[in-house]
Amino acid sequence: MKDKKTIIILLSIIAVIVIGSVIGIFYVSRPSESNTVEIVSNGKVVKTLNLSTEKNNSFEVENNGKINVVEIKNGKIRVKSADCPDKVCVDSGWLKSSDLPIVCLPNKLIIRFTKNSDDIDSVSK
Amino acid sequence: MKKIFIYVSVLALMLCGCQTDNSDKKNSNETTESVSEISQTDEELAPQIYEGDGDDPSTLDIFAMDTYMNVKAYGENSYDALILSSDEIQKLEDIFSVTNKDSEISKINESAGNFCEVSEDTSSIIKTALDYCQKTDGALDISIYPVLREWGFTTGDYKVPDDETIKNLLKNTGYEKIETNENKIKIPENYEIDLGSVAKGYTSDKVSEILSENGVESALLNLGGNVQAVGSKPDGSDWKVAVVNPFDESENLCSIKINNKAVITSGNYERYFTDDNGNKYWHIIDPETGSPARNGIVSATVIGEKGVMCDALSTSLFVLGTEKAVDYWKKNGSDFEIILVSDDKEIYVSDGLTDSFENLSDMKVNIIER
Repeated sequence: MKDKKTIIILLSIIAVIVIGSVIGIFYVSRPSESNTVEIVSNGKVVKTLNLSTEKNNSFEVENNGKINVVEIKNGKIRVKSADCPDKVCVDSGWLKSSDLPIVCLPNKLIIRFTKNSDDIDSVSK
Repeated sequence: MKKIFIYVSVLALMLCGCQTDNSDKKNSNETTESVSEISQTDEELAPQIYEGDGDDPSTLDIFAMDTYMNVKAYGENSYDALILSSDEIQKLEDIFSVTNKDSEISKINESAGNFCEVSEDTSSIIKTALDYCQKTDGALDISIYPVLREWGFTTGDYKVPDDETIKNLLKNTGYEKIETNENKIKIPENYEIDLGSVAKGYTSDKVSEILSENGVESALLNLGGNVQAVGSKPDGSDWKVAVVNPFDESENLCSIKINNKAVITSGNYERYFTDDNGNKYWHIIDPETGSPARNGIVSATVIGEKGVMCDALSTSLFVLGTEKAVDYWKKNGSDFEIILVSDDKEIYVSDGLTDSFENLSDMKVNIIER
């Protein structure tokens, strides 16, 4: 009896996560060509960048002593190097679509296009 | 609720590890080689030109005129046209730079008091600039350079000069005394000119010309925030150009749709410093006072066919202030449109833009009618 209850609870948690993910992914991935990118470190947006105006440069994002080196070049962004063990974030290459952000799980870093996407071609300033 | 969904989906993605779209691997590999060079040399990097492929444009990235420039050009001939564009940008920088001692502008400044023979480009840009100095009744003045330098805007060594210093420096300014004779220019003794207010606009005109002459029908230039479009997008639709929010540069103020036009903005956020009392001083000098122009405008955007006109006028309208800028447009604005932002956070948009204008801020919009 107790086991059954536990299984039901577990199943509903999984169901919530799955359904939530599906809806969430749809929400995040509305068709877009946004050029605004946000860098989230340890759950906080630490930087918002407009890739169409940003100069080529690289900078460090630090979280609890762990470092990802983020590079912006020709209107694109990527993790150039990182001190995480797996380097999956580096291997991800340039951020390409709003469907899939670049995520570095060990260093708690996310780089993603912002949600309110638009189709701005260039920015005058 | 949305936040939770995002959180859950991010969590799900995190569980999947570092993943992103790798379908375009070829492209990222192509650019990887030169990447390390770029981050090391940064400001001094040589122009980077990449050849487009299919729907992807050829791109040019270059640091020139103290700013970062990017040109995207579409179509078969775009790569070759960008090589020519890059050469042109470097050539114009060499002759227009006021800090380069070998430039033609430096030669004019060194030979103050005498006529100085210069190239077609230099005489042409100076004549055009003088034309706008006159049209705007001195709101634009290419001879204000000594004052600009005293404030430290040319070196980054900022200071607030005392009134006496400014008064003395202003004695050696005034565009009216600059003489031109064919390709010869003469400025009075102790005068110095610079073309900071028009050089990028002139350059985007020249690059647009080169691109068109070389068969490029679709290109978008961004020369340090000066936007200029050649034709429309490859699919024939208009380009959507945003203007940055002068109160928060990470946000866009508004967007408009254009083709074959320049969109050039002068803002008080571009180059400025703050004194000990929190007063903000920006690089757009009012030639009348010799101090940063404080006439109610924090950002002035001009949209028109010629980059050099838009560049000259965006500076001029900033200096004129809201009321006079609106008047100027009403009298002379048959070939350009304007977007002004006042220091009390209102947007003024000329009525020729209303079809494509989109407000992306929470500021009030006033339509100016002809």
